[in-house]
Amino acid sequence: MKKDKTVITVSDLYKIYRVGETKVRALNGVDFSINRGEFCSIVGASGSGKSTLLNMLAGLEKPTKGEIVIAGEHMEKKSENGLVRFRQAHIGFIFQSFNLMDTMNAIENVALPLTFQGMDRRTRTRKAEQMLDMVGLTKYKKHKPTQMSGGQQQRVGVARALVVEPEIIFADEPTGNLDSRTSREVMELMQRVVREKKQTLIMVTHDNELAGFADRIFHIRDGKILKIEEKT
Amino acid sequence: MRIGDLLLMSISSLWKRKVRTVLTVLGVVIGTASIVVMVSLGLGLNRSTMQNIEENGGLTSIQVWESGNFDSETSDKDRKRLDDELVKTIAANPHVELVSPVLSISVLAKCGAYENNLDIRGMSGEALARMNFPLASGEVPLAEDTLAFLYGNQILAGFMNSRTGSGYWMDGTIPDIDLQNDAIFIIYDMDSYYNSQGNQGGSGAGAAAVKPPKKYIAQCAGVIDGGLETYKSYSWSVYCNIVPMEAHLKRIFRGKAIPGQPLTATGKPYKEIYYNEIYVEADDMEHVAEVQKWITDMGYQTSSNTEWVDSTKKQYGYIQAVLGGIGAVSLIVAAIGITNTMMMSIYERTKEIGVMKVIGCDMRDIRSLFLLEAGFIGLIGGLVGIGFSFLISLVINRIVAGMGMEMTLSYIPAWLAGASVVFAVFVGMASGFFPALRAMRLSPLAAIRRG
Ligand SMILES: Nc1ncnc2c1ncn2[C@@H]1O[C@H](COP(=O)(O)OP(=O)(O)OP(=O)(O)O)[C@@H](O)[C@H]1O
Ligand SMILES: [Mg+2]
Repeated sequence: MKKDKTVITVSDLYKIYRVGETKVRALNGVDFSINRGEFCSIVGASGSGKSTLLNMLAGLEKPTKGEIVIAGEHMEKKSENGLVRFRQAHIGFIFQSFNLMDTMNAIENVALPLTFQGMDRRTRTRKAEQMLDMVGLTKYKKHKPTQMSGGQQQRVGVARALVVEPEIIFADEPTGNLDSRTSREVMELMQRVVREKKQTLIMVTHDNELAGFADRIFHIRDGKILKIEEKT
Repeated sequence: MRIGDLLLMSISSLWKRKVRTVLTVLGVVIGTASIVVMVSLGLGLNRSTMQNIEENGGLTSIQVWESGNFDSETSDKDRKRLDDELVKTIAANPHVELVSPVLSISVLAKCGAYENNLDIRGMSGEALARMNFPLASGEVPLAEDTLAFLYGNQILAGFMNSRTGSGYWMDGTIPDIDLQNDAIFIIYDMDSYYNSQGNQGGSGAGAAAVKPPKKYIAQCAGVIDGGLETYKSYSWSVYCNIVPMEAHLKRIFRGKAIPGQPLTATGKPYKEIYYNEIYVEADDMEHVAEVQKWITDMGYQTSSNTEWVDSTKKQYGYIQAVLGGIGAVSLIVAAIGITNTMMMSIYERTKEIGVMKVIGCDMRDIRSLFLLEAGFIGLIGGLVGIGFSFLISLVINRIVAGMGMEMTLSYIPAWLAGASVVFAVFVGMASGFFPALRAMRLSPLAAIRRG
């Protein structure tokens, strides 16, 4: 039953961008697997291919070559609509620049993925409020993004990613726009929530200290995995 | 996504860009209004003409006469006359709603010093009721036991003072007669009358003295409304019920030929009364031509307004198409405006659309959102445009009325209002179609890129 624990399997993954005459090997042969409930962080220098890897795992980009199997399904074989449906069911995403809707308040923002799924207003509002309570924004439910601090906005972002109860959460430098204290707070929040619900979290970061929150740290250089650091 | 959520989201995104939305809607308003007003002019002209035709004998009525062309070989027996048999035959046609014989006779009416030559038309009560005469006083002569007359609205103007020679058409003096209540005498036997007049006026040489014919007092049923100046097809006629008319004429001309009736080879009158005309109403405008042909094929002469109606329809159809085309140009401009607005909106919202895709919005829903937005622009523009059109139409008709013309030049029927709103929505959605496709195909990666 070991296989059952694996939630992501990546094998022989390549991503090659053509810019004019030159080829950019953003990912140059990557193999790894991640277990259910694991918290992994990806670190590396700028331009090493961290975002490219994450985007491909989330199905936002197609690999040039290789396989990505998530929850038993081949991501590289899915149509764009199939990917949308897969993301609705399995994936949450946390952005560096929060990417909240300016015209909507916190509840509406958190409920948005549920709206896309066609859930009725009452249920989705209830779920969104629960999520906001959990991330500690009980007082800010009716606030619009412009009326909140960066840390508060990212908490809304975390709540929005978690509201659909996804198996896997991707986060590309989720604290990149926050100061170090707020970053720690958000990290602790994410770690706590993910542990409680046994969700898998994969996070890209520059910050070695924040990477230390993870169970495993993937070091990437020039599109290849340099080493995988296990924390005990 | 649920329909309600889709609607709310597209409305709120229009609301977020109020100024641009209003300007784009304004384009649609102008486009819709110009099409509607242009088409309404064509429709108004058409309708005015149709009303005109209806007042001039109706859209479904057919007149039947004896065929005029007989060569000498046509024997009297073969001659197709208008008799009760024919009336029955025509009435049996399923597309015929009403048939009435028409018996007309010219008489002289006298009232004090005033005289007038009248054309009396006897028709069935049913037909008289059907004609819908507007009445100034009295009623339509439906009674079949007494002979009573319904005077056309210009009859009064025809009375001339036989002593002074003055009359309405000569010097504008309105005859001092109350048609409804004054005693009017009718001379039916015009031949005898003129003979007797000739005797009195002449030197008395030769012919034996002719006794002047009897005068009969006329009972008035009513007078048609309309004043002395308005001419309609009925203005100059005097109507009565044909049943008492026939009886009355038979009594007056006992043993003699009723004027206008045919005679046998030996110069004797027939037993039966033959009609001058038969009046037929078809059940529908569509069947007029068919019924008319059927009667013509039986060997009679017919007339109706179908050709007039057809040519009018065709003519105004062209006018409408040209006017509508002119209006359509401005709607095309509006459509380009919508496309432009939607494109701008998509460029602005590239990131937002990307985020929506990443957090699980269907491609189909994104397309629907943009189509709905464009559709709303069309809907609001169409609705406001229709309101605007009614306003313009009102102003046009006021101006036309102010110039003294008796017609509604601009006419907006309900179907035009409805169709133009639907059309505006359609144009909106069509204009939003390519922008919507573009939005649908935007890469979700746009959400992750900074800036
Ligand atoms: N769309 C693209 N077209 C061409 N080259 C690209 C494209 N996207 C990424 N690259 C290249 O691929 C490489 C990896 O980029 P990626 O964004 O994954 O780096 P990163 O590790 O996330 O860096 P950072 O820490 O600065 O975010 C870079 O050299 C980049 O220039
Ligand atoms: Mg990156």
